[in-house]
Amino acid sequence: MLLGAAGMAHAGGDPARGEKLYEDCVACHPIERGVHGIGPTLYGILGRKAGEIADYRYSPALRRSGITWTAEALDTFIADPLASVPANRMPYAGMPDAADRADLIAYLQKVSKSSTP
Amino acid sequence: MATQLKEVDAVIVGLGWTGGIVAKELTQAGLKVVALERGAIRSPEKDFAVPIVRDELRFVVRHDLMQNTARDTLTIRNNPSQAALPMRRLGSFLPGEVVGGSAVHWSGHTWRWTDMEFKIRSMYEERYGKNFIPGDMTVQDWGITYAELEPYYDKFEYTAAVSGKAGNIGGQIQLGGNPFEAPRAREYPLPPLTPILASEMFTQAAKNNGYHPFPRPSANASRAYTNPDGSKFGACQYCGYCQRFGCEANAKGSPLITVIPIAMRNPNFELRTYSWVTRVLKATDGKRVTGVAYTNLLNGEEFEQPAGMVLLCAYAINNVHLMLLSGLGEPYDPVSQKGVIGKNYCYQTGAGATLFFEGRHFNPFMSAGGSNATIDDFNINWDFDRGKHGFVGGYNVAGGFNTALPIGYRPVPRGTPQWGKAWKAGTAKWYQTAMNIGASGSVMANRYNYYDLDPTYRNAFGQPLMRMTFDYKENEHRVGQHAAQVINDIAKSMNPTRLNEATVRTQWTVVPYQSTHNTGGTIMGTNPHDSALNKYLQSWDCHNLFVVGANVFPHNASYNPTGPVGALAYWTADAIKNRYLKNPGPLVPA
Repeated sequence: MLLGAAGMAHAGGDPARGEKLYEDCVACHPIERGVHGIGPTLYGILGRKAGEIADYRYSPALRRSGITWTAEALDTFIADPLASVPANRMPYAGMPDAADRADLIAYLQKVSKSSTP
Repeated sequence: MATQLKEVDAVIVGLGWTGGIVAKELTQAGLKVVALERGAIRSPEKDFAVPIVRDELRFVVRHDLMQNTARDTLTIRNNPSQAALPMRRLGSFLPGEVVGGSAVHWSGHTWRWTDMEFKIRSMYEERYGKNFIPGDMTVQDWGITYAELEPYYDKFEYTAAVSGKAGNIGGQIQLGGNPFEAPRAREYPLPPLTPILASEMFTQAAKNNGYHPFPRPSANASRAYTNPDGSKFGACQYCGYCQRFGCEANAKGSPLITVIPIAMRNPNFELRTYSWVTRVLKATDGKRVTGVAYTNLLNGEEFEQPAGMVLLCAYAINNVHLMLLSGLGEPYDPVSQKGVIGKNYCYQTGAGATLFFEGRHFNPFMSAGGSNATIDDFNINWDFDRGKHGFVGGYNVAGGFNTALPIGYRPVPRGTPQWGKAWKAGTAKWYQTAMNIGASGSVMANRYNYYDLDPTYRNAFGQPLMRMTFDYKENEHRVGQHAAQVINDIAKSMNPTRLNEATVRTQWTVVPYQSTHNTGGTIMGTNPHDSALNKYLQSWDCHNLFVVGANVFPHNASYNPTGPVGALAYWTADAIKNRYLKNPGPLVPA
């Protein structure tokens, strides 16, 4: 698969299944470029620095975190957001299943590469 | 002079659940629709994101999402011999005043009212004889049936992301659901919420006492969900800020994230906020309405908005007020019992116990709006014989939490001082150990419970305030006594360390908060002599006027009202789209 080179955490991730799993996120995180909901857009999230979008109000905890959203960093964060970045403000309990996370990240990666989300 | 605006097909007064539903439905049918909302716009992004939403001062104490009583309020009294006084601060009930209405700050409890309500007089008279219903109890059949409304309940539940467990699908009783509910066509769109310790303990105790507990159906999405219109819901996070707050996770069934954005994307729709409707305009022949007059609250400018159709979709109380202010229909007079506008105002009664278990940790700050288990053995269970107890109606009993506020929720055993060192020690000791069991009881219509225009007090526009005359009558005392007894029996069977027993409410007062379940005033029915609207919520007098909301209920049940409010909004929208537009006129011959 083309995605094989993108990193360990989502090796073999299925973006089609990931798109379905994105239902967990989409009520707050639009996937359209530049459009924010309760959460910031996740378009182009791969490679972005945590807290870097100027027109979204992040928690101080996330801005201070120094995270760059690699596939591995996303995997750790989504598994248990509050344990990963204490005092972040995302009201989401986490996605415990590693295969689910791999699929979700594969989807985010695919969307971020596409120029017309 | 008021500026005359261009005529539109329909004007909607108030944009909450009902206004949002009809706005979406009518614009999709091709109508040009304007909605006038007196409140401001609120958005989940700007107003409900963490940490903004977790502000007890802004949303609870200062009523950010609710009616501003400095501009307009009610006068209140318990009976016609008293002089009514203005309610200067919200208390017993909390009408919404924002785009989304009260459905922004509701808890999401969504029930299906059944034929036990819609055919109340027929069913009680058939079973208990003509003399069972007291002479001053003005209950009457609604003119609609559960079977007619079932598809619309279904539509509303799937729109609003209701989590629950069916108890009766097509006549088959379902394990784990409410065995007394009327048959539904299919399951709820989402499984029940995760139970909390308090609801689990109540469930066990209720079972031990021979009752039939089930998880309360609530528009709190138990997992991420996309509704049939494509509206997206997140999963409820049990954050504990539900009632009186917007939702930080877009998990609460609200018109703000469903029907309203759909209407807003339609070029046929226009929303005007800060627009206070002062009057519905009547045609000279009195058989039609021609539009509404309103004031822009930001600059005082006055407008007249002509429309082919007027839909009153404001809060239940304010719909009735507008009818009275506009001279639509004959005002109700409790002495002669003539007239219909203002008739059959009802509220709800209740009883509640607090149980303290030393050593238990209930974590009351973690709950959804619907985090409780409920029993309907004394509510929609027709096998429960009211004859022995001498009351009409009933009550449901629930154990659990809803919005146990970090500052406001301070359970202590009775007898604990209400301030000072001893109170501090008490609240620290007992906070984690307490759970509640509460009942919500029906209120039957009574000839002396009603609305009219106040003779003395006026609002900011110089118009008479609406006067509410209400008190609990003997029937409600009996419902409350029975409920308190059942609650206390269940509570004692759980062996709490301490118990604040449930007591009956006797006289109604406007404080503290009880429930935002005000019903009646422009009731639906079978004929124009004893009701204001026909079964399609169409005015008997003016066929192009529809009045939607709990103000159409001829009496109030034990259940929260939003299920039938939403279902009836869809029902009315369908009647307009499929019948009225093709042949404008009365949908039911008078």
